[in-house]
Amino acid sequence: MNAIETNDLTKYYGDLCAVDHLTLSVNNEIFALLGPNGSGKTTTVLMLTTLLNPTEGRATVCGYDVTRDGEEVRKKLSYVPQDMAVDIKLTGRENVRFFADLYGVPHASDRVDEVLAIMELSDRADDLIRTYSGGMRRRLELAQALVHEPSVLFLDEPTIGLDVAARKKIWEHIRALRKKGMTIFVTTHYMDEADQFCDRVGIINKGRIAALGTPMDLKARLMKDVITARIEGTLTPPSIEGIVFVGQSGDEVSFTAENGREALPLLADALGKSGCIVRSLSLREPTLDDVFLQAVGQQEEPHGFEDGKFRIMLRRRK
Amino acid sequence: MNGIVTYMKRDFTKWFRGRVAVISALIMPAAWLIFVGLALPVKFTGNYLDFITPGILVMTMLSAGLSGGALLMFDKILGFLNKFLALPTPRSSILVGKILFITGRGLIQTTIILIIALLIGATLLNPVQYCLTYFILFLFGVLISAFATTIALYLDDHDSYSAFNTMISMPLFFTSSALMPYSVMPAWLATIAHFNPLSYAIDAVRDVTAGGFPAIPILVLLVLTVGLLAACMRVFRKVTV
Repeated sequence: MNAIETNDLTKYYGDLCAVDHLTLSVNNEIFALLGPNGSGKTTTVLMLTTLLNPTEGRATVCGYDVTRDGEEVRKKLSYVPQDMAVDIKLTGRENVRFFADLYGVPHASDRVDEVLAIMELSDRADDLIRTYSGGMRRRLELAQALVHEPSVLFLDEPTIGLDVAARKKIWEHIRALRKKGMTIFVTTHYMDEADQFCDRVGIINKGRIAALGTPMDLKARLMKDVITARIEGTLTPPSIEGIVFVGQSGDEVSFTAENGREALPLLADALGKSGCIVRSLSLREPTLDDVFLQAVGQQEEPHGFEDGKFRIMLRRRK
Repeated sequence: MNGIVTYMKRDFTKWFRGRVAVISALIMPAAWLIFVGLALPVKFTGNYLDFITPGILVMTMLSAGLSGGALLMFDKILGFLNKFLALPTPRSSILVGKILFITGRGLIQTTIILIIALLIGATLLNPVQYCLTYFILFLFGVLISAFATTIALYLDDHDSYSAFNTMISMPLFFTSSALMPYSVMPAWLATIAHFNPLSYAIDAVRDVTAGGFPAIPILVLLVLTVGLLAACMRVFRKVTV
């Protein structure tokens, strides 16, 4: 039995299809759902945590159906939304004790001490949360989530808004939980974190899974060198044998090539002839970003930022 | 049961650590009591303070209840509600915990108003009368806080909630029997006042202070409260985000 199992899970908001026949199984691993904003990540988590009823399809958590056996499902999981909701007028210990009492944890006081220690918060446990940093608040939320020893942990953007050191610490804790046998389902849009810390990733776009596998596999599937060019002007992707256009994000254009070193001068030539100015070219091994770009295609968000206008603005300021 | 107490305890702890809110909620009813209760020249009664005190008590409970709905609104906006909904604790305990806190807080505030009223010259009642008064205020508090909390669940943001609060509190107060008896009201106002749930609570408390036992208003209030509470608990049990 897999910890999380979805079968054609679908959610419509009116006419908008937020999650489109999602079929997934996740078990005893750190699974990351990656996707651009509005791709259906949070909606998926809300359905799996019984906060939202699916329009179609079904999902189970630890074998319990999320619509039929809501209460059983909720006993098995913990959910940390991205909002960072901890009571700032209460102390760290009170915040965790509150959840321990809600879960009806036996020997609550010992258990609270234990999870605070796991999250390295023991020495600050009796301070009010208003004195905690962002990273500490997030760790406190993890402590709250762990207090009843859940089998499945859902984390929605666990490292959003945290500095590099705090992020690393959060991920170390998540890895440690995974080692103890917990299933961890995270959503994120930090590719580097997914690449580094997650066992398996699913890239979701417009409610559908566009790519699924271990970060290693997904990168290996591209199998090629990646060439990134920064250009000015409109791009007409050149057709050169052995060079494949991957996608564009702002003024950055990515290609893959069987042999990157040989492809570089060819590409520079072709781009120059097609009428755009090449500012820089770089060659590297594929990262999860490239996989993402290929799976999701052109990202819409960066186009909201019109760099032409931005340049005019800069010129005016001189 | 466990969940209800835990949710209620959280709100009380936060409230006691707030301080400013504890005082500010009392200013308005105290002002009514002093500036209207003592100053208004009325002819239908010799002791207007004794007449208006039940109205002010119920009004205190009303504003405590309506402003209490904002608690759920904040839990919702700040992301607490999503966490609570993902807990195995019955979802209706979120509602009942809020109701008990809001009503409890309202009763503390009405106690202070009651003391102020006594200090400025209201008649002292016997213990049975006080018990009945508290019972009626409790029922009314449950009614209003269940209503306010459930409305807050449906509204999108705090702005629309405070708009709702303003829209409902003043009209409810002025169309009730708080300020004058039905006999001196214009006929149209008396008709409206008879349908206002606020009037039932006020009439009941007034009847108690006059030495009677207001069986019918209490019964009406009880039925209303139980009915609404059942409906609201159902809403909370089935809530999705």
